[in-house]
Amino acid sequence: MRKGAMRRRDFLKLVATSTTGAVLFTGCGIGDGDPETEFKIESPALNPVDLVYGRDNWYATACQECPAGCGLIVRVFEGRAKKVEGNPDFPVNLGATCARAQAAVQELYHPDRIAQPLRLSGARGSGDYQATSWDDALAAFATELGGARGATLIITPPLAGPLGQVVASFAEAFDAQQVAFEPEERVVLREAVRRVFGTDTLPTIDLARAEFLLNFSADFLHSWISPVQFSRAYGEFRHGRADLRGTYWHVGPQMNGSAASADRWFPINPGTEGLVALAMAQVMVAEGLVDQAAAARAYPGITLADYTPERVAETAGISAEQITELARRFAQGTPSVAIAGTTAAAHTNGLFNVAAVLALNYLVGSVGQPGGIILNPSAPFGADVPGPAAGLAYRDWAGVINDLNSGRYRLVIVHGANPVYGLPAASGLREALGQAGKIVALSSFLDDTTLQADLILPVHTSLESWGLQAPDPGPGYQAVTLQQPVVNPFVDSRAFADVLIQAASAAGGALPWESYEAVIRAAVEELRGLRRGNVEAPDAEQYFMAVQAQGGWWDSDATADEAPTAPATPTPVAEPEYAGDPGQFPLFLLPYPSNALGYGETAHLPWLQALPDPMTTAVWTTWVELNPATADRLGVETGDVVRLVTPRGSEEMPVYVNPAAHPDVAAVPMGQGHTDFGRYAKGRGVNPLNLVEPATEAETGALAWAGTRVRVEATGRKVRFPRFEGQVPAFQLEEAPIVQVIPGTH
Amino acid sequence: MTPRWGMVIDLDRCTGCQACVVACQAENNVPINTEAIYLQHRAIQWIRVERYWEGEFPNIKARYIPVPCMHCSEAPCEPVCPVYATYHTPEGINMQVYNRCIGTRYCSVNCHWHVRFFNFWEPKWPESLHNQLNPDVSVRSRGVMEKCTFCIQRINHAEQNARLDNNRPLRDGEVNTACAQACPTRAIVFGDLNDPESEVAKIANTTDRGYKVLAELGTNPSVLYLKKIDPDAPAEHGAESA
Repeated sequence: MRKGAMRRRDFLKLVATSTTGAVLFTGCGIGDGDPETEFKIESPALNPVDLVYGRDNWYATACQECPAGCGLIVRVFEGRAKKVEGNPDFPVNLGATCARAQAAVQELYHPDRIAQPLRLSGARGSGDYQATSWDDALAAFATELGGARGATLIITPPLAGPLGQVVASFAEAFDAQQVAFEPEERVVLREAVRRVFGTDTLPTIDLARAEFLLNFSADFLHSWISPVQFSRAYGEFRHGRADLRGTYWHVGPQMNGSAASADRWFPINPGTEGLVALAMAQVMVAEGLVDQAAAARAYPGITLADYTPERVAETAGISAEQITELARRFAQGTPSVAIAGTTAAAHTNGLFNVAAVLALNYLVGSVGQPGGIILNPSAPFGADVPGPAAGLAYRDWAGVINDLNSGRYRLVIVHGANPVYGLPAASGLREALGQAGKIVALSSFLDDTTLQADLILPVHTSLESWGLQAPDPGPGYQAVTLQQPVVNPFVDSRAFADVLIQAASAAGGALPWESYEAVIRAAVEELRGLRRGNVEAPDAEQYFMAVQAQGGWWDSDATADEAPTAPATPTPVAEPEYAGDPGQFPLFLLPYPSNALGYGETAHLPWLQALPDPMTTAVWTTWVELNPATADRLGVETGDVVRLVTPRGSEEMPVYVNPAAHPDVAAVPMGQGHTDFGRYAKGRGVNPLNLVEPATEAETGALAWAGTRVRVEATGRKVRFPRFEGQVPAFQLEEAPIVQVIPGTH
Repeated sequence: MTPRWGMVIDLDRCTGCQACVVACQAENNVPINTEAIYLQHRAIQWIRVERYWEGEFPNIKARYIPVPCMHCSEAPCEPVCPVYATYHTPEGINMQVYNRCIGTRYCSVNCHWHVRFFNFWEPKWPESLHNQLNPDVSVRSRGVMEKCTFCIQRINHAEQNARLDNNRPLRDGEVNTACAQACPTRAIVFGDLNDPESEVAKIANTTDRGYKVLAELGTNPSVLYLKKIDPDAPAEHGAESA
């Protein structure tokens, strides 16, 4: 309170006697009538207290919320991580972040983080644990490890780089089998890229210089492989050039968050992406728009003439004219680029879908060219460091599950992967894990898989950890993020790799490193030995510090070798197959990864649970999207609970009537339906994989999670459906139709 | 020259990813919007992304518009506050003074953009999540209005640094809002509209796609939208297609 200022109590008295508070000051002649000088009450705008700032530090590190590997800078204040921003220098994301990266701080300070080692005290899966010390826990782990040589299974996400090196070395020391879990359609994508472009690394898209983007089902702006990298490029694609706005057409069964940004959307039946691509190629050849010989090379072993638009149209669910239009527009682009992914890859013919679309790029000369598909070189690590690994295909998981059931594994080690949630219930993994001698989880949260563990060793979250990783896909040249601990561990956790190193040592199979930090330092020293890249320093220590400060290492001259001119390996034509009889199950069930929750791996973070879905604006729940006509036929509206029945099972969830939904598709977001995973995720919503018939992709054996048919039945019940839509008072629309602005009617 | 802070939001770049929404909540200690809060229609989002539909299947489009406070020069929320809790800073920011606010919500009623939010409940975080809270931003208590501040704490911090650095003027890009900084497509650009060399002013002064939401109310918002381009749309009067 300053001199001359009115006391708050006096002021309130005055207000109480006047209904026109706002004009009080001029009217009553108090002071000079200017509230700026009249009231020097503390204001957050220029608060004297605010003028004394504490010291915040910004540390560069790497994001681990999804496998894209964006560079981050984190604001740390008094030893606490406060805010995540993008690293403006790191070439993958150039300063931008997605919603999930922002939430890394909530993972760090999550109230349900596992704070100390836990030992199972009840039945497996009961969630009854007793705290124990690290010494006891490590000794127990080492004992199990020593007694399970040749009978140990290690489950992780695909690990490349130095962490992959440590785990591979650990697996070798104990003769353990190492398997990787990742969303199954990524397995298909990696194989398609290997066949079509001949690389183990995923390619990037040079959207910033493309004129026409044709996307088949990939949610590339929100959830697909490297959304921030693609979103940065997308901004430039639209408005980075003064004289050219890139044009984006989307082909796919669902208007997903990316399709919403397209200039045109061509709704097709699920799983027919590849057929549409072939028909487009046929049109381009028949009309002389592309070189016939190039087309023959791009589709080896396929007689394109058999795939006329007329022949494909009915299966695909769009007209022959539309396919012809797509083909002509694609051939005209200067340049054009075609991509496919997400649900396109999750069918029994997923590999064909993705490969056929990617091969379109050869027809228009867009492979390895500006504005096209840019292949990525391999990572700049030594030969003993594993390159990008693919997850295990579902077919091979079946083998692992058989082995588990036969009692082959005395010890199962799980870290960073949640296959009990991410594989369909029909896989029987949860039950098979019951046959394992001991299960040790190195985890920060009690997720669905960790819940099966006998011993839980709490590990660091990303902001407390070291790491060195080549983003996959990279930016078109060699790049590596350096992840460093930006804060001290918040709970009594240790780094995953350090626990392996310590346990191995205690079990008599010492690894050649004393700590994970030493592994990272050695790898960075190898980068220094390359004598190229963004960092220069006179000695090892200064070099390491410089890489830390920059957040990584990159060399924009280290691009991929000459791009191929045709696919290395042919991919045969395959039509989609769906589980379930169309008479009994009239709709296609289309699970899809959620913008905020992904495949469920971020469901424990409240900011992401509370983040409205881009299309439906729904929050905190699972729903099924139905076209208004389909919903009418069933007599349901938004908020009505329906039963989804597939040959595999049934689940109940509320309907969201989505005016952009394909009439034959029932789309359900992934991410919810966890048995545990902390207070924000536990018991919330439904895991659509419970409904999926475990059919596999024909070539790769990956789970075809989009290949099941479904019947939707009304239950007569209704729930209040939490969503953002209708929060704003002017659009108070609870359970009323969405306002649609239709041209010509207003 | 005193800055006038403003924002350009390019709807032809926006993809509705909502990174801005979480970035804002992280920066500004916005309470967690629980399921119950959503069901009560009391969610607080200083910046929100609205989705609306145009057309019918299959010729349907989903459109996104991120909506922060417009920071109107003639803000209708300001004169109605009986206690001067809403006021206009000399730099053009429409501010809420939390410890003046007595929760009449007149300002909220008078805001046509619905970007003012009332704390119906005491905001609660589990103890461990307190560690994330931004020390530069007050946590608002029950009974108080809150709203977008254009990340005033970042502006103050940058201005203070500039004063300490030989009292130099702020450089363009030296201060950025959390939403603009996160935006993956660079749809949101923030800066000083009074500095003709700033990126935001250059866009605002040269674009032919600019419009202000509810401009007809004459409140002179500081947020300029660049309209979405729809190549298939029938030509509007005066509109240019790209």
